[in-house]
Amino acid sequence: MLLRVKNLHTWFRHQAKTIKAVDDVSFEIDRGETFCLVGESGSGKSITALSIMRLLPQSNLERHEGEVNFQVDGQPSVDLTGLPESEMQQVRGSRIAMIFQEPMSSLNPVFTIGEQILEAVQLHFPELTSEQAWARVMQSLHEVQLPDPETRVYSYPHQLSGGQRQRVMIAMAMACEPDLLIADEPTTALDVTVQREILRLMKALQQRTGMAILFITHDFGVVAEIADRVGVMQQGKLVETGETDQIIHRPGHEYTQVLIAALPENLARHEKHETIVDETPLIRLSQLQIHFPVRKGLFHRVADHVRAVDGVDLEITRGEILALVGESGSGKTTLGRGILRLTEPTGGQIDFDGTDITGLKRSQLRQFRRNMQIIFQDPISSLNPRLSIAGIITEPMKVHGIGENQEERIEIARDLLQQVQMEEDALWRYPHEFSGGQRQRIGIARALSLDPSFIVCDEITSALDVSVQAEILRMLLELRRQRELTLLFITHNIGVVEYVSDQTAVMYQGQIIEQGNTADIVNRPQHEYTKQLIAAVPRVPV
Amino acid sequence: MTDRTVRRQSYWRRIIGQTVVRWGARLGLFWVGILAVVGVFAPFLASSFPLLLSEGGKLSSPVLDYLQPVDLILLGGFFTLLLMIPLGLALSRALLVLAGVLVATTIIAYSAISPPKLVIYEQYRVAEAEGRYDWVIYAPIPYSPKDYQRDRGETGLEAPLSKSERNHWFGTEQNGADVLSRMIHASRIALGIGFVATGIAMILGIIIGGLMGYFSGVVDILGMRLVEIFEAVPTLFLLLTFVAFFGRSLYIMMVIIGITSWPGYARYVRAEFLRLRKQDFVQAAEAAGLPLPSILFRHMLPNGMGPVLVAASFGVASAILAEATLSFLGLGLVDDPSWGEMLNQAVQSSSFNWWMATFPGGAIFLTVFAYNLIGESLRDAIDPYLSKSN
Repeated sequence: MLLRVKNLHTWFRHQAKTIKAVDDVSFEIDRGETFCLVGESGSGKSITALSIMRLLPQSNLERHEGEVNFQVDGQPSVDLTGLPESEMQQVRGSRIAMIFQEPMSSLNPVFTIGEQILEAVQLHFPELTSEQAWARVMQSLHEVQLPDPETRVYSYPHQLSGGQRQRVMIAMAMACEPDLLIADEPTTALDVTVQREILRLMKALQQRTGMAILFITHDFGVVAEIADRVGVMQQGKLVETGETDQIIHRPGHEYTQVLIAALPENLARHEKHETIVDETPLIRLSQLQIHFPVRKGLFHRVADHVRAVDGVDLEITRGEILALVGESGSGKTTLGRGILRLTEPTGGQIDFDGTDITGLKRSQLRQFRRNMQIIFQDPISSLNPRLSIAGIITEPMKVHGIGENQEERIEIARDLLQQVQMEEDALWRYPHEFSGGQRQRIGIARALSLDPSFIVCDEITSALDVSVQAEILRMLLELRRQRELTLLFITHNIGVVEYVSDQTAVMYQGQIIEQGNTADIVNRPQHEYTKQLIAAVPRVPV
Repeated sequence: MTDRTVRRQSYWRRIIGQTVVRWGARLGLFWVGILAVVGVFAPFLASSFPLLLSEGGKLSSPVLDYLQPVDLILLGGFFTLLLMIPLGLALSRALLVLAGVLVATTIIAYSAISPPKLVIYEQYRVAEAEGRYDWVIYAPIPYSPKDYQRDRGETGLEAPLSKSERNHWFGTEQNGADVLSRMIHASRIALGIGFVATGIAMILGIIIGGLMGYFSGVVDILGMRLVEIFEAVPTLFLLLTFVAFFGRSLYIMMVIIGITSWPGYARYVRAEFLRLRKQDFVQAAEAAGLPLPSILFRHMLPNGMGPVLVAASFGVASAILAEATLSFLGLGLVDDPSWGEMLNQAVQSSSFNWWMATFPGGAIFLTVFAYNLIGESLRDAIDPYLSKSN
């Protein structure tokens, strides 16, 4: 047994209240094993890892106790909770290493990556000469398959892509040959194809060195891919541990069952929407271009263009849900905003219900705004923090002359909140008083307040936990049925695409490379890139 | 029900609440509050004219007869503010009401009252000495700022409370005028120049900075050049030049300090608007087809006001300092006393008289210090990382 955590408690004090972030957690990790901690946000999985490393904020710590027994080959087991700080520093990095979610902020921007890895190596192996230490740095970069390590070792963090930075973080962790690697959501900020490579890399390194991995994630797809055993956390408690296969297919605890059932793959399929006989498309894009100029030099001369959307032809039929999939930087968000002319197109044409809206002036466009709305990804920044919910929902109605007076509009707003399953006293509250899922509901209510026929949903569930995501998706489908909405659903989550959409379009480098029925695209992708993308998605075996 | 009312309090109420709990802000506001009350009621606190007198059974109030239109406007504004606090109006509406009352009282004051042109300060003292009055009630400091008390044989430069029969609490200056009375009347200039100059700068800065931030592109490039041009103008020397050309006027000073200090606010507002422009809620407002003024002033401005307000409270302090500097250099107002001018008097008199330097200097120091304290607390209250838990 490499690590045995027994009755771990980590409680915080916050404004005279005790928050039991980790509450009586016990688990074990064997040598060469991957143990996954899964849970929704706020379940205490990251705090558990930080408790093991003893990296907790001391200021408001109320209780930190339990046993963390760590045993390396041929040495007696030590309890990390009782270790003096100087000895703990020996354990951190050299015996237990940690990598984090955001590789940009975990690397120091003013040092080259070589210098940063070298520092870690020299700290933990002071006996090495500088040549030997440098050799070790190069070796670790080779191990993590960073392309062209001889030159990349001299680059700064901002010169690398997200996936490359995460490789550097892993190289830094691996340079000291730890016995245990704690990985806190290391692939959450990465695209699926990059995520797959990183997961494969971690597996390969584990097989070679025999280290154990404590992997923290919220994504059951990743769990299915990488974990040997799984622990499910809920509100600081470890509610269930078991083999991966058993947790996913025969979950014992009630909460695990709820989580597994909320996965988009497992949601009850809605009967496919009857496409309306009227076949004229509601939205037709022809050769739409959105280029951003890259300015250089003294006079801001336009040197080049970023082709965010580069000649897109697309039709969205009335009443259908079109999913727009693609990795980050593919231009899908720009396309969504371009259709609403929130970002001005630089070429091509947008027809909305038979009218070309590309050439309309601001004042002419206003009457079209009623029919086209948008729901955003980030539930925090999408609501004005200075306005009450009533103000947020009624202001657009007032501008467009919906409702005779304010009382009538408030009545409509109350109705809308009911439709998105919120209490009506939410009207008089301010956005900061709501959780992410509730804010997203308010965002939907705001979009619906003008009774639009077309809504762009820009990654609306990416910031939410799976159980909340399931509720929002179900509600959205129900609203679509009642109001005969046409949706452009932008997402990177293939599970969500399968659950929600009728049609799918795949976007890559500003262009739509494949389009068709969702089932066809997901099961029989034609284009090379789509095949890669679909294959890279971590799946929960159904 | 109380729960509901707590929830409904607006963002600014919360910010004000959080500012006021800090001791620095309390001290600062306390001092500024005292100054404001003293400034508004200056004619009733320090005046050679009796508040009330009885002459042969007939009551009269010379103070009211000699009241200037400015005094009336200040009183009107002050009492409107006092009345509005319990009403709990929204900030924008309260400002509108205040502006309306000020305009109305200005018109009434200038058309209705005409104080006597010729002012003889000693007439009531002389009459009282002759025993013409049954009884007289004087203000707490019975000397006007420009009352040189020749009738009483004042020699000037008298130390505080040095003679028991003449109660000059802060002493007298070289002409024999009461220092405390002059300071009380000067507090109006100090507060007025701070608020008006900062107000002008803020309005200009918000409009220009807001347009730069929202439209960016060419508007932004032109606006930033304008900002740079104005930032290159040395305020103090421009003021000196203007004083030389147009004579000494408080209003010219206010306007010049105002129009040379807006670039700082414009920079803040521009940076905030550039950030807010890409926020989803602004995009949502745009997607809903809201008119431009609503997007700019209802959705973006309140979210970007934080840094501007903080800068404004420091700006008030620096405007007060600018006026004091000018007056100290002898380029301030001709007849009306101001704290800087009083310091100048202290320096110019042949011997050093501590009371003439200490009290006005202390007042300038405390006022600037108070505004800096308020600015400091406001900055802490607006910082979202400190008040997240609320």
